[in-house]
Amino acid sequence: MSYQEKKTIVSLITGVLILVAYCIYAFGKAGMEQLDNLQFWAKTILAFIGIGIVALIIIMIVFHILLAVSKAVQQKLSDETIDDKEIEKSIEREMVEDEMDKLIELKASRIGYSAIGVGFIAGLIAVAFGASAVALLNILFLSGSVGSIVEGFVQIGYYRRGVR
Amino acid sequence: MPDKLEITNNIRTLRFFANEMTQQTLAEQAGVSRQTIIAVEAGKYTPSLELAFRIAEAFGVSITEVFSVVKQPKQQELKEK
Repeated sequence: MSYQEKKTIVSLITGVLILVAYCIYAFGKAGMEQLDNLQFWAKTILAFIGIGIVALIIIMIVFHILLAVSKAVQQKLSDETIDDKEIEKSIEREMVEDEMDKLIELKASRIGYSAIGVGFIAGLIAVAFGASAVALLNILFLSGSVGSIVEGFVQIGYYRRGVR
Repeated sequence: MPDKLEITNNIRTLRFFANEMTQQTLAEQAGVSRQTIIAVEAGKYTPSLELAFRIAEAFGVSITEVFSVVKQPKQQELKEK
């Protein structure tokens, strides 16, 4: 499995965890007691956006450290004479991002944005049929989260199947 | 609509004749990841013109010796046959 695939899987797992945490909090006791309190929902969503960004940064740092350590150990075990400079170079070589990665990212983000767009339309339709502003906020946030998860899956799919 | 073009490559053969050049070495010379070279070699990714030239340059051959084009007949023509 390549570095880019691993990175995508890690961010995908982070996205799923944040979404699950939001669902447990928002649709649990705390959220159900505040169904008409728009301010509560705005604060909750803002907090979860912040938590998501911070969690992703921390998880990515830990992932890169673990990846570098595992690569270094792997190389030391296969060749004891290898020096640190050579190990550093090979880690840098593995983490290179090239044109294929950019193309996959672009194609996947297009599909991710489509999911967000569908969520926006679904939110508007829900409001048109009498749903509250709280429902609209939730639909928008959930479609954004689902969009980024879909984007991750599409990226992995492109890495596996190839992109033309 | 024009015929679909399928781009094939001889990278595996060229690597063999280049003293069994590794995919990693080719990737470093072309300035891309090994993953991309694997995808190009397997026909799963059609490289940009720039990368195609860089791969050809790594082998010291012309671009047409690395990549070739095969015309794919249209669905309509296949049905007629």
